[in-house]
Amino acid sequence: MSTPLHSLQLIDVTKSFDSTIVIRGVNLEILTGERHAVIGPNGAGKSTLFNLVSGMFPPSSGEIRLRGRSITGLPPHRINRGGLARSFQITNIFHRMSVFENLRVGVMARHRVRYGLFRPVARMHRINDETREILALVRLDGRADHMAGDLTYSEQRALEIGMTLTTGADVILLDEPTAGMSREETARAVELIRDVTKGKTLLIVEHDMSVVFSLCDRVSVLVYGQILATDTPERISANREVQQAYLGEEAAL
Amino acid sequence: MRTPLLIVVVLALLTGVPPFLGLGLQNTFINVLIACLFALAFNLLVGQAGLLSFGHAAYYGVGAFTTLHLMQAVEHGFAFPTPLLPLAGAAAGLVVGVVAGFFATIRSGVYFALVTLAIAELLHSLAPHWQGVFGGEAGLSSMRMPWAGFTFGSTLQVYYLTLAWVALSIWVLWAYTRTPFGRLTLALRDNEQRVRFLGYDAHATKVIVFAISATFSGIAGALQAIANETANYSLFSAHVSAQVVLQTFVGGSTVFFGPALGAAVFTVFADQISDLTRSWQLYQGEIFVLVVLFAPTGIGGIVEHHLRHWRQLDWSRLAAPYALGGFGGALVAAAAVFLTETLSVLFGEPYALMRKKAGDGYPSFDLFGIHWAPTNPVTWSVPLVLFLAGVFLLLRARREIAALWDAIRSAPASQTADDEVDASLQSTQHSPV
Repeated sequence: MSTPLHSLQLIDVTKSFDSTIVIRGVNLEILTGERHAVIGPNGAGKSTLFNLVSGMFPPSSGEIRLRGRSITGLPPHRINRGGLARSFQITNIFHRMSVFENLRVGVMARHRVRYGLFRPVARMHRINDETREILALVRLDGRADHMAGDLTYSEQRALEIGMTLTTGADVILLDEPTAGMSREETARAVELIRDVTKGKTLLIVEHDMSVVFSLCDRVSVLVYGQILATDTPERISANREVQQAYLGEEAAL
Repeated sequence: MRTPLLIVVVLALLTGVPPFLGLGLQNTFINVLIACLFALAFNLLVGQAGLLSFGHAAYYGVGAFTTLHLMQAVEHGFAFPTPLLPLAGAAAGLVVGVVAGFFATIRSGVYFALVTLAIAELLHSLAPHWQGVFGGEAGLSSMRMPWAGFTFGSTLQVYYLTLAWVALSIWVLWAYTRTPFGRLTLALRDNEQRVRFLGYDAHATKVIVFAISATFSGIAGALQAIANETANYSLFSAHVSAQVVLQTFVGGSTVFFGPALGAAVFTVFADQISDLTRSWQLYQGEIFVLVVLFAPTGIGGIVEHHLRHWRQLDWSRLAAPYALGGFGGALVAAAAVFLTETLSVLFGEPYALMRKKAGDGYPSFDLFGIHWAPTNPVTWSVPLVLFLAGVFLLLRARREIAALWDAIRSAPASQTADDEVDASLQSTQHSPV
């Protein structure tokens, strides 16, 4: 299969909850292999947009395509098997399982042993090896046997990113991966994200403009459920409309 | 690893001891084994998948009735080896489990519990009317037919058949925890949403777990049918469903073998105590409440906790406070028993007749071989003194035990995730064997 130009396309996507319209006709195209940020003020609908794309709930209208194929209204596991994985803004891990097992659950899914009932997983060497690779990739090798719930906050965030990688998806959605981190931790997280998304397509929601500038090829600005502009970080920060709507105070940073 | 040794010892005892026991105890052993399997099958759902079913009697009962139908067919000449009869229970549990599980697992939490309860109640109310399927109110009966030289006429032969099936089933249930699907089951309990976003169909997963649990519950029901050679609709009653919940939580749902401990304790308890007092179910309930309040990990959790720290335990220092606590607990239990039994005498029918004869006075009554006068303060101070003394001793013991355990826990030990979770569930979590 040849690689399509667009990994992800949103066409006139809307979403309303009861009478509240949260997404008002979003058109967005994510190029294959690019790192793309979605920024916008609180309540602009960034998380809702992520939830629509990853299948948490279906859009009210419009279409979402993953590598050219419609995934509109599919359940999350089908979208994941289609090659899209997401992380969560609020850490969403298996707290009562070891770090290693957290990652292995995802690796198992990639190897289609989802419902394997006839062989101990400890003997599935490829799965355990790949789990160790991801463990090393997110720099948690020293914590393999610790309970995920016992990790520090930034370690849990790294695990969160690691779990997103386990299923082998090549479109990765990260929802505020550096939220609540110190400056130092943020710098390390950016490094990590750049490392682990090599050769993949990344869509990221981020508040920290320095992260966006150092990491992303293009930026989309979401305001009141609509895309205001999509462009390179430099041109977005120079865009007067964007400055007025959103960047105003933060661009001064 | 001590666990394999422990299992060998337990199996050896279960194999070697029963021939020397009386018939009554052999029957008790059969009931204990069946209850253990049922509780472990049930715990697959509640302990590992985090789905609390209030209607597991349904799959137990379905297994029993299907097996009786097959036994009746064998009586009429259908050739089927008697030792394989539980397969019928397994098949029935599987089929009904898939259907019931499909609907029950659409929702989680309270809704799941209510649907399972409703399914069991449905069967309970239908069974007496479905003469052909469940034998009406009288139920079904059959006879074990001889096979390959075994008559299955003696209780001991039935016991060994039961032991073989229970041991095999428990081994399969344990092996299950180490398969990819077993690990997925734990993940599902922890965080269903994330499981879905990792590419798993959560609903399908839950249906499979439910069906496996129902299959082994069906085997337990089948063994019960084989042992009793009869079954009626009361197998579907809420009482049966509630029993397995109580046993599982008293035994400890977070430890693999915990529910089996709970099942064994309660089955023996019911067997021995129900002859002595009509209040035995009240005592069961009291034990359940106390365990949930003061030892939420159950008997299994306590045992597992001690095994985990075995090498750090200094019994010369722990023995005294443990004995003190045990004595205090016995005093409190004595107070509770005295009060319960006294009240059940005073509010019972025979005592009402005695009062009438005595002209509405409060005549004294016999309990534990002693005369007691209800109007005498001494009668009531007995439980009070026992209770206060018991609580005093318990509190003292608890303080000492807590201090000793704090020292043990703070000792530098290699504390890893392996220690934290159910030890028997994940002993070889990730080590490439």
